[in-house]
Amino acid sequence: MTSLVVAQKEDDVAEALTIARQVGEPHILVFGQVDPSPLLDYGHPVHHLRSDDTESLFLALRSLYESLKPSVVLAPTTKNLKDVLSRVAGLYDLPLATEVYDVKVSGSSASYRRGFLSGRAIALEEVPLPAVLLLAPRKTPRASKGGAKGTLETVQPPSPTVKVLERRPKERGGVNIEAAELIVSVGRGFRSKEDLKIAFELADVLGAQVGCSRPIAADLKWLSEDHWVGLSGHKVAPKLYIAIGISGAPQHLAGITDAKLVVAINNDKSAPIFKNCDYGVVADLYQFVPVLTKRLKERLNLSK
Amino acid sequence: MVLLKPALNPETIRGTPEGLVDFDYMSLKLSDIDRNAVEEAVRLRDAYFKGSKIYSVTVAAWGPVDKRDKDVKMAVQEGLAKGVDEAFIVEDDSLTPGDPVTTASAIVAVIRKFNLKPDLVLAGEATIDGFTGQVAGRVAAKLGLPYVSFARKLDVKDGRIVAERDVEDYVEVVEAPIPAVVSVTREINVPRPPTLIQIRMASRKPQHVIKASDLEGVVKPKRKLAEARVLAVKRKQTIIEGKTLEETADKLIDALAAEGVIRVR
Repeated sequence: MTSLVVAQKEDDVAEALTIARQVGEPHILVFGQVDPSPLLDYGHPVHHLRSDDTESLFLALRSLYESLKPSVVLAPTTKNLKDVLSRVAGLYDLPLATEVYDVKVSGSSASYRRGFLSGRAIALEEVPLPAVLLLAPRKTPRASKGGAKGTLETVQPPSPTVKVLERRPKERGGVNIEAAELIVSVGRGFRSKEDLKIAFELADVLGAQVGCSRPIAADLKWLSEDHWVGLSGHKVAPKLYIAIGISGAPQHLAGITDAKLVVAINNDKSAPIFKNCDYGVVADLYQFVPVLTKRLKERLNLSK
Repeated sequence: MVLLKPALNPETIRGTPEGLVDFDYMSLKLSDIDRNAVEEAVRLRDAYFKGSKIYSVTVAAWGPVDKRDKDVKMAVQEGLAKGVDEAFIVEDDSLTPGDPVTTASAIVAVIRKFNLKPDLVLAGEATIDGFTGQVAGRVAAKLGLPYVSFARKLDVKDGRIVAERDVEDYVEVVEAPIPAVVSVTREINVPRPPTLIQIRMASRKPQHVIKASDLEGVVKPKRKLAEARVLAVKRKQTIIEGKTLEETADKLIDALAAEGVIRVR
């Protein structure tokens, strides 16, 4: 039996290999302008595709799948890999799941857990092999290196019918919201982009990163998308999350389930965020937040 | 053509005493991002494919059919009111609870049986219940069509589509031949609510209800949902009040300090 790991980064390869090794002899497909040689130390055959557009990746994967007939295909959950692997799964009617963890493989089936119902439930699912599993990041231990060095082969698929005309890097606000310990997050309660400075001043005092709800990043574009917290944005796990002027749509709440402590400041006492916070303040953010910032400045300073 | 899913509405979630999801209490609604797909189909049709029809295909994934039929029809009706011209609905207890393998194979079976020849197949990037975003890609592969995923902008130029794909680190402009399958994000447009006249007209539009036995090549569900547990995030829900804003702020700061998330004097 063989298994197939598809990824771009070594961390993702190492996590997928932990499961791949339980199923069968792993092969690794790495793609993009990366140096594949460190991956040889894991002791498995490595296939390298230099292109990283979805169409080339699909064509390369399809031919690799045909020749290896792996019992499981493992990859990290990314948008491009969802695109490509959903097509491979479609061709062969393979079950596919994304954001999975607690993966267990036994004989001819696999089980795993994943978020369900917009993050409101956790599902335990079982699928027969062969199957395609896209792993949730950093929830599976990494495999160790070892064994005889693997072989390296460069893959060259036919030219794609979907052409990439242009690629623009996304504007970055210089935040890594997923790794932030403290987050001050802003929502539609703010009336203008300029007013966000009220939140930035609070974040400054706390040493927090600034997050936001969907409308702020996606519709109004007051902040870049790396600030966006929620199901379609980033899932965060800070020790303190302060939601200011955020009503608490289910998709937003799904992004903060791992926050240790949630504080909500909103002038609408019936906002759903108050059912999903540890401490709530029903107040006009324009009046309350500057006072909170001032008091914090005074009290935090004294402790230093 | 648009793919429409009557999805479990996460807002109606309720737990059993054992903490499991009580599916009996959950209702279905048209998955949010499918509205963007319909809106985009209407926009593109009016701009580039004047006079052509918009079909919708729906595969009921949640059963039993008796219980869910009303919700399924409501979701399809919403698509018709927003501009879909003719709807195909696969409803069969042998296909529920469904999975994406079944859904994609049934969609393709409908397209073949009714000899539909779509220029574009549009779908939401994912549905609000499962959120795996895989049915559109499966349909593309099964039909042998190009697939453009996560489109936040879509246009037709010289008989080809040009789309902006929105992925984690970059935005990519791609060009693909027609026919093609496209999944769209919420950012692609702002869906307009249907007018009263549109809602009234919707019920007169043709709707075909199809059984599994009418179709060829439908694959039975492979995925088994062994357990669905309500995610119990227990929050304290303590409302902090004071006589003045200063007092409220201080009480909040005290609470945060007591929790150990900040350090104050």
